[in-house]
Order: sequence, then structure tokens, then C-alpha cells
Amino acid sequence: MNWRDREREMQEELKALEEIAGRKELGNLTLAAENARAVWRWAWLDGLLADLRYAVRILLRQPGFVAVAVVSLGLGIGANAAIFSLMDTLLWRQLPVREPERLVTFDYGTSSYYSFRQFQARSKDVLEDIVATAGAEMRDLDTGGGPQAGEVEIVSGNYFTGLGVTAALGRTLTADDPDAAVLSYAYWRRAYGGSPDVVGRTIRVGKFPFTICGVAPPEFFGVQVGDVADVWLPIAAVSALYPGRHILDGPNYNFLELLGRLRDGVTAQRAADALTPLAVAIDLERAGPGVPDWVRKNMQAQRLKLTPASNGLSYLRRRFSKPLRVLFAMVAIGLLLAAINVMSLQFARADQRRRELTVRLAIGAGRRRVIRQLMTESLLLSFAGGAAGLLLCRPVAAGLASLIRSMGKTPELLLRIDGPMLLFVTAVSTAAALVCGLIPAMRASRADLVNGLQQSSRSATDAPASRMLGRVAASVQLALSLVLIAGSFLFAFSLYRLTHFDTGVNRERLVMLDVDAHEAGYKGAQLDELNRRLLARVGSMPGIERATFSENGVFTGRSSNDQMGADGFQAPAGKRRNAFFDNVGPAFFTTIGARLVSGRDFTEADDAAAPKVAIVSREFARHFFPDRNPIGQNIWHVNEKQKQPLQVVGVVEDIRRDARQQPQRWFYVPQWQAKSDLWSTRFLVRTRNAPGSMIASLRAAVRAEDKAVHVVSIDTADQLLNYNIDMDRLIAALSFGFGLLAMTLAAVGTYGLAAYNVTRRTGEIGIRMALGATRPAVMRLVFRQVWQAAAPGILAGAAAAAALGRLVAGLVFQMKPADPAVLTSAALVLAAVSMGAAWIPARRAARLDPMVALRNE
Amino acid sequence: MDLLQGTLDMMVLRTLLMGPLHGYGIAKAIRTKSGESLEIEFGSLYPALKRLELKGWIAAKWETSETKRQARYYRLTPAGRKQLAAEHSKWAEFVDAVTRVMGPLPGGEA
Repeated sequence: MNWRDREREMQEELKALEEIAGRKELGNLTLAAENARAVWRWAWLDGLLADLRYAVRILLRQPGFVAVAVVSLGLGIGANAAIFSLMDTLLWRQLPVREPERLVTFDYGTSSYYSFRQFQARSKDVLEDIVATAGAEMRDLDTGGGPQAGEVEIVSGNYFTGLGVTAALGRTLTADDPDAAVLSYAYWRRAYGGSPDVVGRTIRVGKFPFTICGVAPPEFFGVQVGDVADVWLPIAAVSALYPGRHILDGPNYNFLELLGRLRDGVTAQRAADALTPLAVAIDLERAGPGVPDWVRKNMQAQRLKLTPASNGLSYLRRRFSKPLRVLFAMVAIGLLLAAINVMSLQFARADQRRRELTVRLAIGAGRRRVIRQLMTESLLLSFAGGAAGLLLCRPVAAGLASLIRSMGKTPELLLRIDGPMLLFVTAVSTAAALVCGLIPAMRASRADLVNGLQQSSRSATDAPASRMLGRVAASVQLALSLVLIAGSFLFAFSLYRLTHFDTGVNRERLVMLDVDAHEAGYKGAQLDELNRRLLARVGSMPGIERATFSENGVFTGRSSNDQMGADGFQAPAGKRRNAFFDNVGPAFFTTIGARLVSGRDFTEADDAAAPKVAIVSREFARHFFPDRNPIGQNIWHVNEKQKQPLQVVGVVEDIRRDARQQPQRWFYVPQWQAKSDLWSTRFLVRTRNAPGSMIASLRAAVRAEDKAVHVVSIDTADQLLNYNIDMDRLIAALSFGFGLLAMTLAAVGTYGLAAYNVTRRTGEIGIRMALGATRPAVMRLVFRQVWQAAAPGILAGAAAAAALGRLVAGLVFQMKPADPAVLTSAALVLAAVSMGAAWIPARRAARLDPMVALRNE
Repeated sequence: MDLLQGTLDMMVLRTLLMGPLHGYGIAKAIRTKSGESLEIEFGSLYPALKRLELKGWIAAKWETSETKRQARYYRLTPAGRKQLAAEHSKWAEFVDAVTRVMGPLPGGEA
């Protein structure tokens, strides 16, 4: 009887008694009813405890089964929890600031300090405040024990007050604090052991001393999701940190991300409308006077967009929201596979326990009662799996996060086990228990009393329905496995194409050193002189084949950009005339292994005294010189007051860092002829042996030249390219793992099915052999049965994979989502694996002694 | 008079030994039997009935009363009969033991 019936009957009973006895005679009936309900609740709880105790006793008797079930569910739930926590961190979590729902980002690109001040001063009607951050970057931090690398984030002085973040210790920054520093809580614990007297002490960033004014609260990492700052410095510190570069003055040094706080009652749309004229004015000012009319018109037509940013700024969110969803689907399928595996084990267990269950049913336990008992066992297993999953989740999520290079050094800081997480794990564990327990429990409780009590292996398991279930379970498992395997093939092929395309550069043994001499005080001719000496020193090192340098290096994504003119080039409206450029050293193209289509490379002779020259990329030549040979033609910067033509002396094959990118218009000029200082110097060297062995001596060579010169990073060309495809590598690595797991589970599943069939049909096989069946014939018999389950599963899986392929359309490169080659190869691999798994039981069947087999009957 | 823990359950079982009764009938029967000195609150009797029903010692069914009214009548089940026998002897032992300890007060003073 269910709760509702019981309640109704109680009400009727009480009403009848009231008519017999009168209300006064019976006293407080509401209380009587409430007490009666309490009796039922206690009985229910009591029953639950009894079920739990019984379930624990039963499970303790089967440690092998429990271990397999808990480990496989634990892996499945742990993987789901790990992806969930990454999604929570990167996509959903709100910033720990005051009223985060009122924050908006400027969908505007980065801003200069000048535009930030303009916006700040002239937006008071709609925005309470605007804060700015330059993002975190690596710097040497010295707390007194020598320099160590740390993440430094430069922020506007009102950053903390504007966000409503109060200091855990000391105070936060104020608007006019040129040399104050706020430490992150984690850094304070790490570098100062959480010492309370840290306020007022000095911390050096590079060479420059800052006074620690406070410590941020533990839950605050900054507004850029994924970045973990160690130290926050005020924007005024920029002049000290970047000496000689007038970053704060130039309207075109765009390095700030803005975050506004809406006034109470103001919508993002209204604020955006109000600020649009200002944004257009700033854009026009930024572009300068030389802008063509059509560009000016476009700028005037632009509308500012403000996007709600209660969960912070994140370039990671844009990049990772789709991949994480795909990964989430994959881990969910993985868990479903694990649950089905446990379900198959439960079928086998139910067969063994048939006698016990039948006895319980025979003495009158209701079917629901038996199902409840069996489900209690499944829930117990599943929650044990969930607990194991929670233990696994943090290290797994941290490992995944560390593959995302932009998440910094300490991604585990960002991952939390909190309320939503526990809720998620509880829900997933319950769902897993339902999948792995419900069908076996329903089936076991529908026992056939007579056969069950006899507990003969034949009669207990020969029911056609139970054989069907086993086959269907194996089929579904294979189908799901195929989806995962096809997915992993797809991502692996895609990654292969992303890493094996023609970049236009010979990456073999190519190393890039990023050197920053600005901090050491070099500028102008001195800087050129230093670069000359460094080039000579590095180039003559044993183990170095050749060396060159450029301002932006290769595969860094850094570039300079300008409006260009060219001989014979008409720029009709709508035709772009901008191009990227780089200042490079002598023999640049020969050294990096780029292919010159025509003309020559730069040499030492292309110096300040020589005629000004340039080398253009093939795409540049196609765009600017569609109808003539570019060699010997002139190009020039449109916005220069006085036209200074550069003569094209060579055309080089396009250099790309991403296979998904269209070739861009590039031109290159010799640094010795450039007027401006290099922003940074990236030395490119080709080593003779494995590049890893050269890193230490390269660093030493720079130090030997001048100790003060800072080596920012040393990477091989392959590494640089890989940073660019970290998301693709993350997905490929994970889907490979899941594919492998799926294959293992499928193999276990088919093995189980085959072994079960062989056991069940031992007698039959004995008879067949006695009647003259050969061993290969017996093996074929076993294989045929497995194949009957495998073939529909694999076919259904291929269909499902083809349909699901659309989900990953934007994530794979040069691969059709339903690629026939991928589906076929995945199906073949899975078929081979499942037949391989059936091999062992098949061989056992073939080696049966007919006499023994028949005696068993 | 306060009821000792579990005494109510026992008295309900004992009352039902005479034949099926509805909830109010049980309360009335206990009151009459005790010479009006035990006033059973229906609010405590009713949950006790539900408890005994859950344990399977009594069972209930809708029947028509002598006054032609529908009511749920409780009766003892075989398991309830066994339970009553066990509790009855335990109760007798308990009363016996307490009586022996208490005895008559010396000196005849009251």
C-alpha cells in the first residue's frame, strides 16, 4: 500500500469514528493523525537501516565483485565530476565580489590607459565604476630570498574597491599608490608562510621594490577566469616595470580589459547605448587622421556592446565551452558503459542468489520489498563509487587543467569541491545505481518459485528473456564503445593534421629564445649593438648550426600591423590594405628554413646605410601585386608623413602557425634598417643535436653577455606550435583515454557474454563433440553467438557516431564528422577486440572433454 | 494514572482477544474494564493501533457497526495472539516481582 492510499484510508477511518463517537470524545484528531504518520516514517527508516545492514553483509561476502563495481563506477563518476568541476570553474562560477550580477564587460577589444580614463570619467550616469586589468604575466618576484618566477597582474587603483573585494589582511590598493602591492592569499601562504606582519614589508618585482599593503581574501583569484595572480600592482607601476616605453601615454597601447559595474536599475543595453558615442569617439581618435573614409564610416556605425560578466572575464570560456561540452558527453557515455558493465555483473550475481531471493519471495516478501533490498545494494555500491570518484576528481581535473597552458601554474587552486559539486555527484551516483541495479532487480524479483528453489544451473539461467537481456546489454555496450572509439579516432586524426601541416618553417631542432633587454636599460643603438653581440655569441656556440632573430619570432601570435601602399595597387572601397610585419635579423628565412619563392634573403649588407628593402609573403604579393612580379617594386607605410619606399627583394612562402588559419599578408624588413626599437628580441637558432640539451647553455650564453638581460622563455618550435593547439591536444588526449577505456570495457563485456554462453551450453557442446563436431566447429559456434550480439551493437554504434558527429563539427580539422574511414576503422578495431575477447572462452569450449561435459549435466 | 511503556500495546491486544472492535470501541472497552480509572487518550491510542498493524499483530477491515455505521474494525492476527501470550507472562512476572518488593508496609501505618 502506498503512502497516498494509507493517508486516505486514515482520514476515512478517523471521519467514521468521529461520526460514531463525536468530536469531543476523541480529542485532538490532527495530533492523532500526525503521530500515526510518525509511526510509518519510523518504520520506513527502520526498514531502510535493516536493508542497509543486510546489503553491507551481502556485499562483504563478495569482495571481488564489490571491488570491480566500485572501481569502475568510481572511475566513471570521478571523470564526470572532474569535467563538471572544470566546467564550473571555467564557465559557471560567479566571481566572489559584491553583487557580481551587476558587472559587465566591454565587448570592445583591449583598451589603452587613455581610453580607460575617458570611459571612467564620462560614464558616471550609467556605471558606478569601471575597473581595468592588464592580465597576469610572469615576472621575477623576490621576497628577500632571491628571485623566483611568479604571476604579476597590473590593475587599476580602484580595482579592489570597485569590485567590492576587501583585504583579508591590511588594505587593498587605492587610486594613487604607485608602489604598493597586494598579495594573493595563496602566495602569502606560500612565500611568507602566512605571517601576519607581512604588511609594510618590501617585495621586489624584477628590480623594483614595492611595499606590501595587504593580502586578498582566499577565494579571490582575480577577474580573469583561469588566471591566478600572485601579486597585484597598481597601474602606475607600469612606468617602472616597462622603462622607456610610454605605455600609459600612448592612445594605441591597448593592454587593458575593462569591467564596469552597472548603476542600480540600469540595464546593460541602456548603458551600452549611452556609452556608444564615447566609444566611437575614442576609436576615431585611436585610428588617427590617416583613416580612409570607408573605415571611418564603419567605425561610426559601430555600436558598443556590454555583456553581463557575473562570472568574470574569460577568453578560456569562449574557447573551452564547446570542447568541455563534448568532453562531458564523452565522460557521460563512459559512465553509462561502466554502469552497464556492473549491470551485467549484477545479472550473474542474481543468478547465484536465486535461491535466497526465491525463499524470500516464497515466505511472502512483496516484490517491491525485494526490489528495494536489491536497489539498496546498488545504491550502496554506487555511492561508494561516488566517494571514490570525489577522491579522484581533484587530481584528474588538475591534470586536465594543466594541459591548458593558459590556466597558469596552479590550476588546482581554482578547483573546488563544494555544494553544487556534491549535489552533482549524488545525482550522478543515483542515476548510475538506477542503470546498474533496476533491471537486474526487476528481473530477479520475478522469480519462478519452483525452478528457483531447485537452483539448477540450467533451469535458473535458461529463460529466453534472461539470455536476451545479456545479449542486449553486450550490444548496447559495444554501441557506446564504438561512439567513443570513433570519437577518439576523429580527434586523433584531426590532431595529426593540425601538427603535420606545412607551416612554411622547418621546425626540426629550431629553438626560440625570448630575450628582454629593456629592463636592463638597453635602448636605441645600444640595443641593436647588444643584439648584434648576442647573435654573434649564440651563432658561434658549438652545437648551434645557425642563428638569427626577429621582433615577433615564429608561432607566437604576436604581430605588428599597419596600412600599406604598393606600386600599382589601387585600394577600392572595401579592399583591405593592412598587413602584418616583423623586423628581422640577417639570413632570417634561411635560418628558420622558410622557402623563398623568388628573390633573395636579407644579409648583413642590408644595414642602415644600404637602400631600404623588404621581403613579402606570397599572400602579400597575391594581394598587393596581383598582376606583376613583386621583385623590384616598392611598398610603403601609408600613414607616414613622408613616403619612404621599401624595395621588395624577395617573396617567401606563407608562414602559418595554425592550419585552420588562412594565410595572412606579411612583409619583413631588416632590423638594422628599422627606425624603432625592438619591443622584444626573439632569437631563433637551429641546433645540431636534440634541442633540449642546448637550453641551459643558451641561457648561460645570454647571461655571459650581460647578467641583467632577462631570458623570458626558451621553447622549441614544436612547443610553440603545441601551445597554440592546447585545446585540441586536451580533447585528443582525453578522448584517447576514453576510447581505450571503452575498448577495455567492451572486451570485458564480450568476454563475459561468451564465457557465460560456454558455461550454459557445456552439456550441448559435449553432445555435439560426442557426435563428431570438430574443435574449429565448436569455436565457430561460440564466435557466432558473440557475433550475433556484436554485429547489431557495432552497426547501431556506427549510426549513433555518425549522428553525434555533428556535435563536434567545429572542433575537428579537415575531417568530416561522419568520416567513413574513421567509422570503418573504429568498427573494425572494435570487432577485432570483441572477437579477441571471445577467443579465450571459445578455446576453452573447444578443449572440453565430451565425457566430463556430459557428466556435468 | 500514567501508562508504563508498552502497556498500552499489550492492553489493546488483550482487549481485541474478546473480538473485533473499531478504534473508539477499543478506547471505550479499556476505560470500562479498568473501572473508569484508565482514561485512554485517543491521540495516543490511534498511533499505537497503526504500530501494531505495521508489526502484523492486528489487522483491520471496514465493517458495519451495530448502529449501522461503517468503521474500521481491528482484530487479532495469529502473530498477535502469540505476542499477547508472551507479553502476558512477562507482565505477570513483572507484577509479581514488584508486589514482592513492595509488600505491605510495616507498622500498619498508611
